[in-house]
Amino acid sequence: MATDPAPVPAIDIQHLTVSYGPRPALLDVTLSVEPGRLVGIIGPNGSGKSTLIKAILGFVPRDFGTVRVFGQPVEEARGRIAYVPQRGSVDWDFPVTVGEVAMMGRYGRIPFWRNPAEEDHRAVAEALELVKMSDFRKRQIGQLSGGQQQRVFMARALAQGADILLLDEPFAGVDAATERSLLEVLGRAREAGRTLLVVHHDLATAARHFERLILLNQRLYAYGPPAAVLSDDLLEEVYEGRLQSLGPRRAPGGGA
Amino acid sequence: MTTLAEALSQPFFQKAFLAGSIVAVVCGVVGCLVVVRRMAFLGDALSHAMVAGVGGGYLVMKLVFGLEAHAPGMILGALFSAVITVAMISFVSRVSRLKEDTVIGIIYCGVFAAGIVLVSVFRNHIHIDLIHFIMGDVLGVTDADLWISAVVAAAVLSVIALFFRSFQVAAFDPVLAAAVGIPVVVVDYALTLCVSLVVVSAVSMVGVVLVVGLLITPAATAYLLSDRLDRMMLLAALFGVTSVAGGLWLALRLDSAGGGAILLFATAQFLAVLVAAPRHGLLAGWRRRRRLVPQQVVEDVLGSILRAGGRPIALGAIAPHVHADRSRLVHALRNLTADGFLEGGAAGWTLTEEGTRQARRIQRAHRLWETYLARAGVPESELHRRAHTLEHVHDEDAVDYIDDLLGHPETDPHGAQIPEDFVHLEGSASVPVSVLRTGWRAEVVSVGDAARSLGFGAGELLTVLPRRDAGATWVVGRADGTEVPLTHAAADAVMVRVLATGSRPPAPFPPQVG
Ligand SMILES: Nc1ncnc2c1ncn2[C@@H]1O[C@H](COP(=O)(O)OP(=O)(O)OP(=O)(O)O)[C@@H](O)[C@H]1O
Ligand SMILES: [Mg+2]
Repeated sequence: MATDPAPVPAIDIQHLTVSYGPRPALLDVTLSVEPGRLVGIIGPNGSGKSTLIKAILGFVPRDFGTVRVFGQPVEEARGRIAYVPQRGSVDWDFPVTVGEVAMMGRYGRIPFWRNPAEEDHRAVAEALELVKMSDFRKRQIGQLSGGQQQRVFMARALAQGADILLLDEPFAGVDAATERSLLEVLGRAREAGRTLLVVHHDLATAARHFERLILLNQRLYAYGPPAAVLSDDLLEEVYEGRLQSLGPRRAPGGGA
Repeated sequence: MTTLAEALSQPFFQKAFLAGSIVAVVCGVVGCLVVVRRMAFLGDALSHAMVAGVGGGYLVMKLVFGLEAHAPGMILGALFSAVITVAMISFVSRVSRLKEDTVIGIIYCGVFAAGIVLVSVFRNHIHIDLIHFIMGDVLGVTDADLWISAVVAAAVLSVIALFFRSFQVAAFDPVLAAAVGIPVVVVDYALTLCVSLVVVSAVSMVGVVLVVGLLITPAATAYLLSDRLDRMMLLAALFGVTSVAGGLWLALRLDSAGGGAILLFATAQFLAVLVAAPRHGLLAGWRRRRRLVPQQVVEDVLGSILRAGGRPIALGAIAPHVHADRSRLVHALRNLTADGFLEGGAAGWTLTEEGTRQARRIQRAHRLWETYLARAGVPESELHRRAHTLEHVHDEDAVDYIDDLLGHPETDPHGAQIPEDFVHLEGSASVPVSVLRTGWRAEVVSVGDAARSLGFGAGELLTVLPRRDAGATWVVGRADGTEVPLTHAAADAVMVRVLATGSRPPAPFPPQVG
């Protein structure tokens, strides 16, 4: 394959297969996301969405295939990726404030012998402002609602200043208004040139919020503009849970 | 040196064994709840806090009633201090944001300290041997101790037997317990009270420091052996008694402190079970892992026998194809025979029908993955190794997808034949023409859009002919002798039912070099 002169893709996945057992979680996924895109990942439960994100982060071993981030292997580009996990498994009683949690996103850049610099404080303040959590910065993290906690973790990812943000269902348990305002935040991050991959469950709103959609169910069924991905045929095939790898083969036999 | 039999004839020893056993049984049973509730630390706390209660009870009885070393008074004092301790722990946990383990540590040390100060300040009035209290003296058990432990044991065991289900569900899922109307708080207090009572009666035998061991070690030993709470309790009681018996024997042999010996024995017993337990033990795990023949070896064995093409093959001829030492290979053969995949005869090993299926499935996955890897640009020298790591992905759907993706190739990059899709040939009423190899005769069942223009009708008989264009074009012969070329999409769209007899292609798996 010749290298084309187009800009280096933010995320380039070739022939990715990941398995936890005989049934692969991801099978032969090939996908390339241009920089500066806001991409939604959709697919039924257990379809490999979280696995795809973990594979991009290099958290799960690959059976085969490559993942490149801005042309580099993940291991070398990890500093350029921020990640908001599906369910934060943190101790909510931990003595730490909202502001400190957001500052943790900067820890990777602050040498151990130094205190956070002016720049770090500014990044944190901006991130909290973006998710509208500035007023809560002195609050202990447990004293927030679920949706507010989610926003804090998003702020932490933003403060990290990473070029790529991977968010696994950031809108789970978040009301519609908050979801909208968080999506605005993501939109602004995109305008700032970041690339975002967001696992999203609501097909009804997916078209409105994302410029590209990844439709996944073990295999990549589609990647493209929402209008093309959200076709009834494709959705039925993926969400009805039928693996139609050989087309009509699985059709009820003996039509004659 | 006394033998156990001699010792057992001594009244003091009998009394020690009896009292120790009673305490150990009730400790074991209550200990199970302590273990599953992760309250071990609380048990430790209660036993320490008791020092203050015993000292206080002694003092009150002596100064108020003039009774010296009044046992019931001391026991009431001990219970009182236990209740105070638990109440303070729950109060401080509630009003502070400290975690419970920290609070327990603070409170019990405080109460223990108060006890030590109390006993030492009033040392002229209180004739308690603090060391005795801390170390216990199982061989010096009095009749009063014996009676007290018997009454406590009877009371505690009845409560637990009567309310077993409440204890069980409150320990496992307090939210559910509350939802079904079990007063969780009351159950919690009852459990704490039981623990306190048990600890009080055990302290005189094994002492403050070791009582928590008597509470949790037999219970933990039982936990390793059983998956049900009621069985665990029975076993824990049993292990408690064996600890006491073994410990007393040890104490006599070594002339050591009784409490220490009992706990030493209990711990040794625990370690022995940890190693040897049939299911959760280290040895069993290790044996399981050893016996577990790696999938790789299984697949290599099946593959090498498959390649012999149905002739029996001797162990010596299999060995070169399998990456495993001889004992493991023998083991694999035995396992595969037990699973019904192999048959061993005088001449060597052959595959059973099921073994052949399995071997072909794996071979198909391997060769398809090799083809896939070759297309993805993996260099020839790495193909086999890479495909080996991928062939464990032999889930039928995944393999079918790869097969379709590759255009149903007939041979792998080394030129070896890829087993055909026999799973669907055997299992389905109809299959697409695209999966059929040369030689099959089949009857058309239905025709999809992509092949509509070719004019096949349902019920028409077709013969599959060799493919053209390096496998990219399928060819079928019609009854009138005409040959029809099909694209991949068209071949996928023509669904047929294969004719069973006389239509199987010749020897689908000739012996091959792999
Ligand atoms: N640690 C694991 N061990 C074994 N199998 C796993 C593991 N993690 C995931 N799987 C399996 O891999 C498949 C994909 O899981 P994944 O978590 O990627 O799904 P998902 O698309 O994120 O689902 P959801 O929408 O429920 O979050 C599932 O079938 C799941 O059972
Ligand atoms: Mg997920």
